[in-house]
Amino acid sequence: MTDHDHDHDRTVKPMVDEITDFEVLEIALRELCIEKGIFTAEEHRRFTEFAEQIGPTPAARLVAKAWLDPEFKKLDLAEPMTARKEVGVDWMEPSSFGTPSDFTAFQILADTPTVHNVIVCALCSCYPRPILGNSPEWYRTPNYRRRMVRWPRQVLAEFGLYLSDEISIRVQDSNQKHRFMVMPLQPEGTEGWDEDQLAEIITRDCLIGVALPKAGVTTNVITEPRPALHPGTAG
Amino acid sequence: MTERIDALQAIVERNQVWPRMAAKWGVENPVPPWKTSLDGLCDALDHASCDADVPNFKERRDEEDALSATVYSGLPYPENQLVSLAHSLVARGIIDEAELKKRLVSIRERLDAL
Repeated sequence: MTDHDHDHDRTVKPMVDEITDFEVLEIALRELCIEKGIFTAEEHRRFTEFAEQIGPTPAARLVAKAWLDPEFKKLDLAEPMTARKEVGVDWMEPSSFGTPSDFTAFQILADTPTVHNVIVCALCSCYPRPILGNSPEWYRTPNYRRRMVRWPRQVLAEFGLYLSDEISIRVQDSNQKHRFMVMPLQPEGTEGWDEDQLAEIITRDCLIGVALPKAGVTTNVITEPRPALHPGTAG
Repeated sequence: MTERIDALQAIVERNQVWPRMAAKWGVENPVPPWKTSLDGLCDALDHASCDADVPNFKERRDEEDALSATVYSGLPYPENQLVSLAHSLVARGIIDEAELKKRLVSIRERLDAL
């Protein structure tokens, strides 16, 4: 018998127990910038905290609520800046002071049976971070950015999303002042589901527009970034 | 802009990239622990670009794209983002290479101290 009751079988997750050059480099850049007065340690801490707490959950909730409540859907589409407060995101003050690349107009693009929306930033990697979290690696690549605006149907197929020719694809280019997310249609087989169940299948990929929600699918597509190849010259 | 920088080249060659480190230590996290601090660093720089002589968001991302496709094409993300940022800051004279080298040594000594 022991004099305490905590669980001795608990295991600690492994961690990288060595200092990498990249970790050292990140600290070095940060310290030198602070010492040169480019930004303060406090500013860096607050931006880092912002980066740590963002994710796609608020956006999924926004869509789930809209699927369940036609009035909320109207609010989503007409006043997205008001609607996102319902899911705990105050875009104007994402970290009490805003971030330079997120202080922006926001619009929700609703899919219809004949129009599918997908977002991109052809210029760099603008993304609705306060409500959708950090963009995935592939979203940042020139390959996705350049090819999505030219050959959306082919690029979507690479994500495993094959749309029939009757469905037109609208590619919305984000920019420094305008951010977008997609509101997909509620899929078959989810009638009677509650908000939690629905939010689980509204993945980040669905909110970007490279996937459609489907009962039983709760993970994103995994794609390897690849160099850009022009269809006319490839293979 | 794409001229090689010795201090950064040494880091590339040592290749302590996260996929390799994570496999070596049996770690499942998809990104290295310094990623959000790098995000904070990029945001802080973008925020400062109106007042300080640093690249703005667009310039920073353009240079990252160009460098990630050339000098640092062998690095995965986000290592290529970090090293490209360092390259931009050194190439623009915001951080001196000798100063960076010295700082890399002193930080490693600090972190390795027991």
